[in-house]
Amino acid sequence: MDFQLSADQKLVQEMVREFAQKELKPMAATIDQTQQFPWESLKKMAKLGLLGMIVPEEYGGGGMDFISLAVAIEEISRVCASTGVITAVNNSLVAYPILTFGNEEQKRTYLPLLCSGQKIGAFALTEPVAGSDVAGMQSSARRDGNYYVLNGAKRFITNGGEAGVYVVFAYTAPALRHKGISAFIVERGYAGFTVGKHEETMGIRATANCELMFEDCKIPVENLLGQEGDGFKIAMHTLDVSRIDIGAQAVGLAQGCLDEALRYSRERRQFGEPIANFQFIQGMLAQMATSIDAARLLVYRAAWLKDSGAKRFSVEASMAKFFASEVAVECARKAVQIHGGYGYSREFAVERMYRDAKVMEIYEGTSQVQSLVIARGLLGA
Amino acid sequence: MRIVVCIKRVPEATEALLRIDPSGKKLSEDNLTFGMNETDSYALEEALLVKERVGGSVTLVTVGPEAAEEVLRMGLAKGADEALRIAPVGVEEADPALVAQLLAAEIRPMGPELILTGCMASDDGSAQVGVYLAELLGMPHLSLVVGMEVSSTGEVTARRELEGGVLEEYRVRLPAVFTIQSGINTPRYASILGIRRAASKPLRVAAPPTGEKMLEVRQLAFPPAGKKAEILQGSPAEAAEQIASLLRSRALL
Amino acid sequence: MSRDVFVLVEHRQGVIRDITFELLAKGRQLANGYGGSLWAILIGADLEAMAESLRQVVDKAVVVEAPRLCHFHSDYYQQVLATLLQEHRPLFTLMGHTSYGWELAPCLGAALGIPLAPGCIDIWLEGELAVCKRMVYGGKIVGEYSLRPSWGYLVTFPAGTFPAAAPSAQAGLIIRQQPPQLEEIAEKVFVRLMESPAGEVDICQSQKIVAVGRGIREREHLRLAEELAKTIGAVVACSRPIVDAGWLPKDRQVGSSGKTVRPKLYLALGISGDFQHVMGMKGAETIIAINKDPNAPIFSVAHYGVVDDLFKVVPALITTVQGMQAK
Repeated sequence: MDFQLSADQKLVQEMVREFAQKELKPMAATIDQTQQFPWESLKKMAKLGLLGMIVPEEYGGGGMDFISLAVAIEEISRVCASTGVITAVNNSLVAYPILTFGNEEQKRTYLPLLCSGQKIGAFALTEPVAGSDVAGMQSSARRDGNYYVLNGAKRFITNGGEAGVYVVFAYTAPALRHKGISAFIVERGYAGFTVGKHEETMGIRATANCELMFEDCKIPVENLLGQEGDGFKIAMHTLDVSRIDIGAQAVGLAQGCLDEALRYSRERRQFGEPIANFQFIQGMLAQMATSIDAARLLVYRAAWLKDSGAKRFSVEASMAKFFASEVAVECARKAVQIHGGYGYSREFAVERMYRDAKVMEIYEGTSQVQSLVIARGLLGA
Repeated sequence: MRIVVCIKRVPEATEALLRIDPSGKKLSEDNLTFGMNETDSYALEEALLVKERVGGSVTLVTVGPEAAEEVLRMGLAKGADEALRIAPVGVEEADPALVAQLLAAEIRPMGPELILTGCMASDDGSAQVGVYLAELLGMPHLSLVVGMEVSSTGEVTARRELEGGVLEEYRVRLPAVFTIQSGINTPRYASILGIRRAASKPLRVAAPPTGEKMLEVRQLAFPPAGKKAEILQGSPAEAAEQIASLLRSRALL
Repeated sequence: MSRDVFVLVEHRQGVIRDITFELLAKGRQLANGYGGSLWAILIGADLEAMAESLRQVVDKAVVVEAPRLCHFHSDYYQQVLATLLQEHRPLFTLMGHTSYGWELAPCLGAALGIPLAPGCIDIWLEGELAVCKRMVYGGKIVGEYSLRPSWGYLVTFPAGTFPAAAPSAQAGLIIRQQPPQLEEIAEKVFVRLMESPAGEVDICQSQKIVAVGRGIREREHLRLAEELAKTIGAVVACSRPIVDAGWLPKDRQVGSSGKTVRPKLYLALGISGDFQHVMGMKGAETIIAINKDPNAPIFSVAHYGVVDDLFKVVPALITTVQGMQAK
């Protein structure tokens, strides 16, 4: 057993940390307030290879492992959760399924675009009436000659308003229930595809979270991802992978909260001394540090399983995401508490972090869905 | 062009709460973060820019313990071609003169045309090694360089920074040593591909016998209180009130 | 063994630089303390006036003139000094921890094989052992170091370490010395001195300065400093990291490699205060520092300090001053 990052993984950590602290942190408050998608940062990140980390070099990616991806998302989210989830979505919700389930032509066409940041990816699964109940989706696509004709609407799509490449799920055979769902690669600009309203969200406000509408949207048949009916399998496998990264995002945010809380408690003086001298504050800091460490170990373990070629890691990925997201919410709560009145003010980063944290318990499978996956694993169901 | 860049791993001290090791001779390393000395990273960037313009190779050299390999790896990931760590036998802390001697012994056989290093290490602030090294190698040097152009004929036009924002321009014939001041360029970040490629680049370790030390640390301490500003107490608002009345009483408003 | 103390005179364009008189003050103390004479070493061309001005502070002034020495050049200086030091073997040779000292002292030390104590705040003998004190880790730690025993030691001191030596009634001896045969240095040729271009704002002319350092953290936060400056009628200046980051132009930099300012008010926001910066502002009439680190060296040069977050104090200060002005 070895709890150390490899030399390369440490370099990734150091590089991304420096980049995030110098380039992303200064933008975080502004893009939260203005809901401005961080294109400028993403261009820089693309140059460094952070948008296609797990994509092999031949497709324009960095050819890195999933632990490195988790480490990178953690460091980014430590200063800006919005940029963290944009990166996670591009890497593990869009590039990853195209890499894993796409044919050579699709990989050659789309992966270089995603890695270079020329186009950002989005993952369109959730619908107004189908969240946790994926099979409850209403979008459908019917074959018409060389096209599929897609109809339906998607909601709460991260990157939705700014993306250029979408992985969209729809029924091709509704009667088959989840075995009748297919996945498509849809480009921005296809006739019949429009981006709807920008969601007014509580947190991660710079992620162009939008509604998508498809009205007789014509998708070339060669943009079917996998086979007809593979959609559900693709979605579930992709979510297993991406949950590791949402776990990493949560660990990063929690660590960012601890960073802020530590700094503040050393600087803030009450009753003539730094509040870090008070045991109630120390207790909160110790709890934060311990739970963050535990969450990080769960996330790295799940990533390590994926890297080591394990066929099944759903339970471990769910545990990581489940635990880490709750740690993020709890750490944000404590960080605000330690900041007192200032923590409730927009002047301080913890106010934003508190709002950013909550969605981590919701998106890419709520804590309840994660519990379900974990319980099924326990009960062998 | 064969380029050598000498770099050092140093603790980040400006923001950190420093503690002195019980030995009294070094800092306690708990809670310290380490990285490449700031001006060394400008020197590395300048070397990479020269290599991109005129071709050649960049070799990184450091003197230090195994942990110092971190900064070598980061340098390789940014685009250097090979690295050497010098770990003199039985030496825990090397002083600038010893570092220069060790560097000179290892660098001489490499036959470099251009040697770059930061003008000062942020930890000990000696600002000696580069110039000392040049003397030992019998090469010309220029310190505190804030701009340089390398011609194809092996001549460098470089400007060094004097006090008061004045510059001195020199023409220096290679091989030569330049110590680089911050701000000369914008150091790049390593890329993911750079990090992957670094893994297969050569990183050698040399363990030469020690040389001659000129300085030996006796003890480190926190500076005595001495003359101190009068500290204005109270909340930020109260402190602001006091500053404001100070300004008013001195007719500074 | 000689107990004499040599001080290398630093001059530029016919003017002796302040550091020289600071070194002479320390040199006088060392020479008197150890029973030696104080020597100034003046190297250059056309040195008459400068030599005269040194007589009042030294016992001896060695003047070495040659056309090749008309401008500072470490190699020519090294040739002259190596000869002088080997001949006289002074106990201490003092130079500035300045751009000239950095360029010259290490190679002179290496060439002579004698120890160099760089950037010291003090040096003394304990028996035959030389011991120096230096600020390390950005001025947050003071270190004491022993030097390898030698016939002589090179010591550099940062500008501003000592008050300048005052002239006295004495008239030191001027010794004109022929330089050694100066070999031409073809591989390193001095081309010219360049003044940095003047900016739109001349911080040296301003009576009030709001200066920002690393503690400002983000480029966006400069606006806060600008607002404060506007409120109190000051200009914004900065320490080196701000210029390196490209947030403010070079002509706003205060410090040894930037401008030296002597305003009535110097308000330092988030400036740690390493010696290079302090060099450029310690002459200000009133210095107020706001920094959250109670151990920041800036507090030993400031007259008033606030140990708190500048992002809380500065907005409050702006409001307070605006309130006063409204009345």
